Amino acid sequence: MNVEICIIKERCKGCGICVEVCQTDVLELSDELNSQGYRTPRVKSAEECLNCGMCEMFCADFAIWVMTKAEEVGA
Amino acid sequence: MIRSSIERYHPADSFLHADSFPSVWCQGCGIGTAVYAFIEAVKEENISPKKIGVVSGIGCTGKVSECLKLKTYSVIDGNVVDYAVQLKKKDQDLTVAVFLNNADFLLSGAKDFIEAGKRGANLIIIYVNNFICVISENKVFPITPFMRMSIDNEFELPFNIPHLAKSCGASYVARWTPIHAGWMKYSLIEAISKKGYSMIEVISPCLIYDGNDGRIQDAVDRMKFYNDNSVMKNEEPTENLDLRSQNKVIIGKFVDFE
Ligand code: SF4
Ligand code: SF4
Ligand code: SF4
Repeated sequence: MNVEICIIKERCKGCGICVEVCQTDVLELSDELNSQGYRTPRVKSAEECLNCGMCEMFCADFAIWVMTKAEEVGA
Repeated sequence: MIRSSIERYHPADSFLHADSFPSVWCQGCGIGTAVYAFIEAVKEENISPKKIGVVSGIGCTGKVSECLKLKTYSVIDGNVVDYAVQLKKKDQDLTVAVFLNNADFLLSGAKDFIEAGKRGANLIIIYVNNFICVISENKVFPITPFMRMSIDNEFELPFNIPHLAKSCGASYVARWTPIHAGWMKYSLIEAISKKGYSMIEVISPCLIYDGNDGRIQDAVDRMKFYNDNSVMKNEEPTENLDLRSQNKVIIGKFVDFE
């Protein structure tokens, strides 16, 4: 699917909920640490993403979201 | 500093102060999920950010008003519901949501909560029940879970908040856990469009104090625990909702009057 998964690493707390809720294993926790010392998630296989929005919904820190490439707006 | 590292914006960013993230809440705490559900509900209902008032008190839910880019008010504990009622009286067009925790509600503001319900104030109460009130200083508290004792070895049966809300006249009562963020969002949409007193309880035991004695502290395990230990029963009579006689937490929408 033509989607893009955006992650703001500096906002992430490394809780791993987004990795767990993803049904198609798109995400994984990487070894890369952000400035607060948390392990941030990383996109493993973006082409498997269903654009279900579960990762976005369960991230309490607004650090991850998905958008289809057509509606990509930026600001 | 943080802002410079953002290339694109989260769909909810127009409602947030971006520099207040990462938030102060612990990994896996339900407050962040409640905020997400609230923002999604507001977006769905197409309310202008200038027409939403958010009132919160002290403690962890008190930080909600610091991170939202709406008309937010931080009030001292004990005054939160009363302040929200006055706010609504002043401007009838304003949608007023209140983020409550135990310190603002059971410790000092319970009278205002009951009074506002009795008078049918048009408020949305989001009560994040973390089963703890640190200010009560090791005393048993109305919401202290069954068989959790104080230092004096006394225990009480926990109080039934949805039943209290119903009996003081709420027209919308629901209860969810953080894993039910989607349901929480639809509940909030219904609560926003309802003319009357709405109360949504979010069961989210505090990870710091609840995890102290070997209970689940990891965020992912916590979410699995909520998933395994909750059962959805819509329209359940509120008398059955006390948290002592159930093996599983009953969640759902319990009261919905016009
Ligand atoms: S949108 Fe759904 S499928 Fe795509 S990464 Fe998020 S959880 Fe996984
Ligand atoms: S849910 Fe959010 S905070 Fe948690 S690991 Fe994923 S991106 Fe980070
Ligand atoms: S888990 Fe407890 S201490 Fe942490 S943010 Fe939630 S209520 Fe506060």
